[in-house]
Amino acid sequence: MKRVKIILAISFVFFFSSQVMAQEALRMYTSLDPNEAKVYIEAFIKDTGIKVDWVRMSAGEVLARIKAEAKNPQVSITYGGPSVEYIAAKKEGLLVPYKSPVGAPFLKGNLKDPEDFWTGFYFGAIGFGNNTAWFEKNKVPLPTSWQDLLRPELKANISIAYPYTSGTSYTTLATLAQLMGEDKAFDYWKKLEPNIHHYNTSGSACITQAGLGEIAVGIAFSHDILAKGTSKGYPVKGTFPSEGTGYEIGAMGLVKGGKQHDLAKKFIDWSMSKRAQDLMQVWFRIPLNPEATVAAGATKAADVKLINYNDEWAGSNNKRLIEKWRQTIGK
Amino acid sequence: MQKTRRFVAYLKRIPSDIRKLFREPLLLTGIVLVSAFLFIFIVFPLFKIFHLSFEDDGRLSLRIFFELLSKDYNVQPLIHSLHLGVFVSILGTVIGFVFAYAVTRVDIPWKRFFNVTATFPIIAPPFMMALAMILLFGKQGFVSSMILNNVIRFEIYGFNGLLAVETLTYFSTAYLTLYGVLQAIDPALEDAALDLGASKWHVFKRITLPLAVPGIASAFLLIFSQSLADFGNPMILAGNYTILATQAYLTIVGMYDMKGGAALAILLLIPSIIAFCLQKYWVSRKFYITVTGKPSSTRIKMDHPVTKYGMFAICLLLTAAIFLFYGMIIFGSFVKLWGANHTPTLDNYIHVFTVGWGYIKDTLLLSAIATPTAGLLAMIIAFLVVRKNFPGKRLMELVSLLTFAVPGTVVGIGYILAFNEYPLKLTGTAAIIILLFIFRDLAVGVQTGIAELQQIDPSIEEAATDLGADSATTFRRITLPLITPAFYAGLAFTFVKCMTAISAVIFVVSGKWNLITIAILGSVENSDLAQAAAFSVVIIVFILLALWLINFLVNLMGVKKKISFEKAEAL
Repeated sequence: MKRVKIILAISFVFFFSSQVMAQEALRMYTSLDPNEAKVYIEAFIKDTGIKVDWVRMSAGEVLARIKAEAKNPQVSITYGGPSVEYIAAKKEGLLVPYKSPVGAPFLKGNLKDPEDFWTGFYFGAIGFGNNTAWFEKNKVPLPTSWQDLLRPELKANISIAYPYTSGTSYTTLATLAQLMGEDKAFDYWKKLEPNIHHYNTSGSACITQAGLGEIAVGIAFSHDILAKGTSKGYPVKGTFPSEGTGYEIGAMGLVKGGKQHDLAKKFIDWSMSKRAQDLMQVWFRIPLNPEATVAAGATKAADVKLINYNDEWAGSNNKRLIEKWRQTIGK
Repeated sequence: MQKTRRFVAYLKRIPSDIRKLFREPLLLTGIVLVSAFLFIFIVFPLFKIFHLSFEDDGRLSLRIFFELLSKDYNVQPLIHSLHLGVFVSILGTVIGFVFAYAVTRVDIPWKRFFNVTATFPIIAPPFMMALAMILLFGKQGFVSSMILNNVIRFEIYGFNGLLAVETLTYFSTAYLTLYGVLQAIDPALEDAALDLGASKWHVFKRITLPLAVPGIASAFLLIFSQSLADFGNPMILAGNYTILATQAYLTIVGMYDMKGGAALAILLLIPSIIAFCLQKYWVSRKFYITVTGKPSSTRIKMDHPVTKYGMFAICLLLTAAIFLFYGMIIFGSFVKLWGANHTPTLDNYIHVFTVGWGYIKDTLLLSAIATPTAGLLAMIIAFLVVRKNFPGKRLMELVSLLTFAVPGTVVGIGYILAFNEYPLKLTGTAAIIILLFIFRDLAVGVQTGIAELQQIDPSIEEAATDLGADSATTFRRITLPLITPAFYAGLAFTFVKCMTAISAVIFVVSGKWNLITIAILGSVENSDLAQAAAFSVVIIVFILLALWLINFLVNLMGVKKKISFEKAEAL
């Protein structure tokens, strides 16, 4: 009788594990907000019948993770997060190239890697998500420049993510370094430090916090400001620095050594389609496929003053800039 | 001299012990297997951390370690963690003592109620208390905006907020420890002093308090290690007050800086080990045993109205706070958009059971495999340690108890260092999560098992052996049924720990296998407070269901003793 029970227990375990192994699934790390990622991934599953196992992490964390797993890769694709992270990953030899036939006609210039190690799929600019209720109550004008963020009234009222965990925050750091020159950028951040209430791991978290009134200003991407702040019903309004701002080309890429590259390629092709790019309206991302519809009110490249942002430089100097930031800020 | 003689005797015994072992191949295999498992899954990962930090070009060196210690971003968290740990321990111990004293010595109403409520924080999922803190005292918080109308402002991010939530969480530990200690003090002593004309205050000061000192020290050290190991609360509330456990996590997860992470892990490990050793080998030896064997039912009840109602008020206030925190999480989980739109909704639960369903399924499956395995392993270790003689027995006990002292973050870092390469390439599998669950909380099961076994006369087992049963049969047919209560207490504890695990597993999860706590971390990182609250409620419901189920099974099997979950936790 006891034997029978043990055998039953063991076969139960095997049954479960075999169930899970039954169908090969595309394994993915994504940096998109989980509430957003599920929309696209569910649509992909519905369109193609391919199962997807996904985990959300911030872009910096994804880079660290695929580096950590280089000897034993766990996923085939990383999805979302600024191209700078992918340029760093390419430099480390963590990606393999794939040229999507669907994206080829419109992916020009800096919208993809020259050697196709990563593929862009949306655009977004760095901006400030402001809690308008706070600004009205304290009679402070909304910040419209990087210098405005240094105002003493904003003491301990700004939030951003750690540049080493978040692609958003690293893009901000690289933007400042390109806009002001490296030394002046670090001087600026040191002056900004008293106004920083705390650092997050995820780039878009500060928008909800601004919405909640925990802080007055969150520094994040334009689409996150709209998707997680304004459109949700929080008193959040986006502004953009008059000196000029940086931006991301949101990217995806095949992970070297991944076991489901065929499925991952299908995912990239699908992501370039009008159907998939249309879906991004839910999150106010600017699609790269010219046939796709842009969400009403979304911030397009023409709406803000952009610097001549060099993502190649930003991606190549990732390690050095972050170490310098940690030494300077001490976090 | 005597020691040497005893040591020589011990050495002389070894060959005969070994010879005896060879006569029982099954027992020998068991010992070898258990030792191997303990070594691979507890000692080896820790060794990897030290190896990484102290090895420089193949030589032992402190260079890398000191280089990391020269960096501000590594030193600050150490200072913060110790500072916070000391304050949480003081406050938590004081509150725990007041609570335990009120319940055991003062004639206050609702004792049973207080006794149960004080254990609530044990099943709190990670992040939950910090989350409730924001919902209550954040700038849009329930208390700050609706009751205080933002007149009084709290800065909950940083030291103050962490002190509040950690005290509220870990005072349970102090309460359970001190409750046991105060219960064990023979009231005859206090009665005698009273009869001799001492005032009640004098009795408290000169008898009760001194007798409770080892318990107080023990509670202090236990809370100190728990505060050091806390990952969930600082992850949300630390603000600019950087904490070791979260910094170590960010260093590895954010930068893949293994050396930096390992060094921080060692900084975290050293004070935890010191606290553990103090508690284990110094404080616990000093416990005063005043139990005389005679049943003594008269407890002095402090009945002075000021003491009585003062203490009652404190207990009431604290339980009210606990209910407020839990209530807030439940309320928050039914709210559409926290801070902006408080219309009731089930959206968050729909999210939990659609997007989160895979997470729930995996958590339940992995916990269901890990829990009985860990329980059984713990009983086997307890059996071997208490009943059998073999070389390395003490070491086996020490190693299995070590897991209690090592913060989860350190274990997690050790696991990714140890099991990411051939021959033990386990990352990405369910096995690594299950193994982590099993070995992470082995200590409590082993402790309860040892305590229970020591109270059982070995003659029953000896009788079985005399009748021809081998060690395995004796264990299965005699020992295991006798220690069933400990076994189930261990099961309950392990299950709670699996369901609420975060600090160690965070390093080993992958896309294929996920856990609810990881989903909460995701929601928290994106500041989706309502979703995080819904996940927390679901975890609590599953834990309560499981505890009920385990209790039900115990009753079904006719075990008389109720599972003493509290006892397991207090150890």
